[in-house]
Order: sequence, then C-alpha cells, then structure tokens
Amino acid sequence: MGRIFDYLDSRFILKKPHSDFLERPIPQNLNYFYCLGGIAFTLFLSLLLTGILLSVYYIPSEKEAYASIRYIQEQAYLGWLIRSIHKWSANLMVVFVFLHMLRVFITGSYKSPRELNWAAGAMLFLFTMAFGFTGYLLPWDQKAYWATEVGTAMAGTIPILGKPILYLLRGGADISDLTLIRFYSLHTLWFPLSMFVLLWAHFHMIRQQGISGGL
Amino acid sequence: MNDKRFYPDYLFEITVVILLTLGLVLILSLLFPPVMGRKIDFLAQFQPMPEWYFLWLYQMIKYFPGNWAFVGAVLIPAAMFLAILFAPLLDRSPMLSIRKRPAAAIAGAIILIAVILLTLLSY
Repeated sequence: MGRIFDYLDSRFILKKPHSDFLERPIPQNLNYFYCLGGIAFTLFLSLLLTGILLSVYYIPSEKEAYASIRYIQEQAYLGWLIRSIHKWSANLMVVFVFLHMLRVFITGSYKSPRELNWAAGAMLFLFTMAFGFTGYLLPWDQKAYWATEVGTAMAGTIPILGKPILYLLRGGADISDLTLIRFYSLHTLWFPLSMFVLLWAHFHMIRQQGISGGL
Repeated sequence: MNDKRFYPDYLFEITVVILLTLGLVLILSLLFPPVMGRKIDFLAQFQPMPEWYFLWLYQMIKYFPGNWAFVGAVLIPAAMFLAILFAPLLDRSPMLSIRKRPAAAIAGAIILIAVILLTLLSY
C-alpha cells in the first residue's frame, strides 16, 4: 500500500483489530438450532427501534394514553404497522428466547465454565417476561387494566412484604396514573438499560469462552 | 483444519437469518395488525386475560384460593425460576448429551409439561 495509507494505519491501528474480528475462526459443527439466540437478539433490536418510534407519539398518562394509541393506530403515518411490528416482535421474542434456552439446556451448554452465562441468560429471560407484563398495560384499555390488576395483586399475596411491594408496583393501593407512568418508566428506561448490560455480559462471555460443543 | 471464518462465511449466515426473521415479523405484522382494545369501563363485566405466555401462571393461581394464593402466585414461580437459574449447579455431571443426564431431562420435562398443560387448561 501507499506510504500515506501505511502511515495512517500505523497511527490509527485499524487494520489489525478489524481483521482479528472479521477473520476469526468460527466452529464448523453448528446446526440450525444455534440460530435461536441470534433470532431472539434480532427481535430485540426490532423492538428497540419500533419502541423508540412509538415513544414519539405515545403519551403515558391516564387521560391521553388510550387516545395516543388510537392516534398511532389511525392517524400517524404507518403508525399501525410500527405498532404491529412491535407487538409481533415481542411475541416472537418470547418464543425464541424460550426455544434458545431449551436448546442450551438440551445440549448441556450451561455447564462449567458457562454457568454464569446461563445465569445472565436466565435474567434476560426474566426481563423479557417483565417487558411483556409492563408493555401490556401501556395501551390503557380494558384488557390491560385488568391483567395488571390481577398481575400486581399476585405480588400482594406475599406474607408481610406483600403490601409494600404492591404499593411500590402500583404507586398506591389501586392502579392509577402513577402505575401507568411507573410501568412506562420500567418498560422504556430501566428494563432496556438492564438488557444492554446483560446482553453485553452474555455476548462477551460467548466470545471469551467459545461456543460449547463447537470448539 | 477449520477454515470457517466470521467473514464471509458466518456473516453471510447471520445476514440470511436476520432477513428471514425480519421477513417473518413483517408478514405477520401485515397479516394480523393489532386492533384497538376496549376503553376502560369499570361497570362492564370483564374476564381478565393475560398475554398467552402468562396463561399458565393465571391458571395456576386458581388452584390456590384464599390464604394459599401466595404459593401459586409467588412461591412456585419463584422456585421454578431459581431451579432454572441454578441449573448448572444442580446438574454437575460432565456429561453433555441429554441422554446421559436423566435427572436433568426429567426435571426439565416436568416443568415444560406442567407449563404447557396449565396453558391448555386456561382456555
């Protein structure tokens, strides 16, 4: 290569890390069942993108939530499609996270030294379910209200701690505006940020430890 | 000798899987778009129904009425989650094949069948 390119690369050091990344060997004896986790992650990215788009119009308030969903559904350009993609990605993500876990369980891939990566995965599964639960309330319709009523009441059945936990979840004795804002905050800020940390840990450990059975 | 590389071999496979996934999502989204739910009406009769992946839990709490609600609503789901979280510590043999891990296979199958059965019962 020319001297200018060589000089720039000697200072930026771009070629080596990139070729280390791009040309790294990949285990050959992987089958289609090893795609499941990647599909779940693709769906997560789809949810992230459509979720950010939905947040442009959605209003997390008792008075306006339902109307803002109606606006997304009927007025906003392609709003119905963005909402549809968000909903389908969410349902499929639950399916694929579950199938991915089942694959890892059957191939025994969670065994030492990958036990912490399995734990990170179990937490990702829990957050996926929690995303589903909190997202279900946001349209603020009849179905959402009563599902959250039943779901949060379940936490209230815990002896002694039940009532404080119930109040923490609902922001009071009953489901109200406070519950909606709380769930919105969890669904769009706390949970995504937790997912980023867990996903980073999950992928970092896969890179460092290699794929079980494949190496 | 392993000559499968991230680029171009693996990257190609990932791209195909991503496109198929997004294609599936798009087809389902176009064919079955969401509809507006009913407005909240406290006077109307309504049967609460959770998302399909919580149906098993919704069904299970029916078997624990009154003071026992705690067992079905929190204790059993929490125990199931802890069993999954600590699976690598419970299943310590070096065997990888599911056929050589009968205890793990049976425990996993029990949880799986229970969840599927409860989901079916909830309909």
